[in-house]
Amino acid sequence: MRGPSIVADQQANIRDLPPPARERTRAHKWLSERRLAEFKAKEKEGIELYLSKLAEEKIRNHALAHVRDRREVMGLLLGGIYRHDGTEYALVRDVATTDLDATDVSVRFDPRAFEKLFVQLDEIGFRYIIVGWYHSHPSYHCFMSSTDVQTQRTLFNLRAHSALVIDPVNKEIEAFFLDDGRVRSRPFAVFWDQFQSPYYGTSVRMRQTEVIVSGEMLEPDDAGNEERSGLRNDA
Amino acid sequence: MPIRVKVRNAETGSTVDMEMENENTMDEIVRGAASFWNKNPGAYVLRRGKRLLRGSQTVLEVGLKDADELELIPDPEGGYRAPPQ
Repeated sequence: MRGPSIVADQQANIRDLPPPARERTRAHKWLSERRLAEFKAKEKEGIELYLSKLAEEKIRNHALAHVRDRREVMGLLLGGIYRHDGTEYALVRDVATTDLDATDVSVRFDPRAFEKLFVQLDEIGFRYIIVGWYHSHPSYHCFMSSTDVQTQRTLFNLRAHSALVIDPVNKEIEAFFLDDGRVRSRPFAVFWDQFQSPYYGTSVRMRQTEVIVSGEMLEPDDAGNEERSGLRNDA
Repeated sequence: MPIRVKVRNAETGSTVDMEMENENTMDEIVRGAASFWNKNPGAYVLRRGKRLLRGSQTVLEVGLKDADELELIPDPEGGYRAPPQ
């Protein structure tokens, strides 16, 4: 019996796509002064990692949810790799994670919970590339430990791949990548879609205009007030 | 009669078509694809849809069919040891 054989291969094409417009990007609010200065310098020559507001919130909330029990958290960065004006960059649109096997100094996916991760990957809604991973260092600051570097070298060794490390206790965040085998810090921007400005609501729900008091439905008058004043407070 | 499946590298989007027999194992598929992409096979898991394909299972046991699409998913490990010097 012979092993499986590869009979064809297809390289993924890197599409040309302009990065998010500058007016829809920001530096992360947890960047240190030094990292903020690096971000501003990098912004002029071309950012190589964009993190959607959605992904950023999920990562931050995931890490913050385990501050009290000091557990590390981890997940995968999902998006795409693009090129524009000679700069290759990764765009993280969402993240996926599952149950973890974690302590305060180590983290990995619970081997019994991969199928939960796969359900998320199938429901993500776009043809993703795993452009890196995130994990937390609760109270240990942001750096790449020997374990992290080993993971980066083994799994995420393309220049476009990133490791995002977040310390929810000290409110720090930093991205890293491999540059000819050496770990380097990578300035990154948070972006939001044109119709998802973080400075406005992202959803619109129908306002409830009917008030039911003691089983009686009241209709608002033309000015929007209920017909019996004071009932709203009484309800 | 060999079957032909597509294996996707989730970290790049690249794919390979692999031919295999019913007796081949998932471990062999992972090793073949990882070797092609110069990856460490021990750091990946293989999935078909939401199902994890376990290493010692054979093509027949898993029920792989012609034109199935599998995906190689990284299984990272993180943790604090000590800052690198």
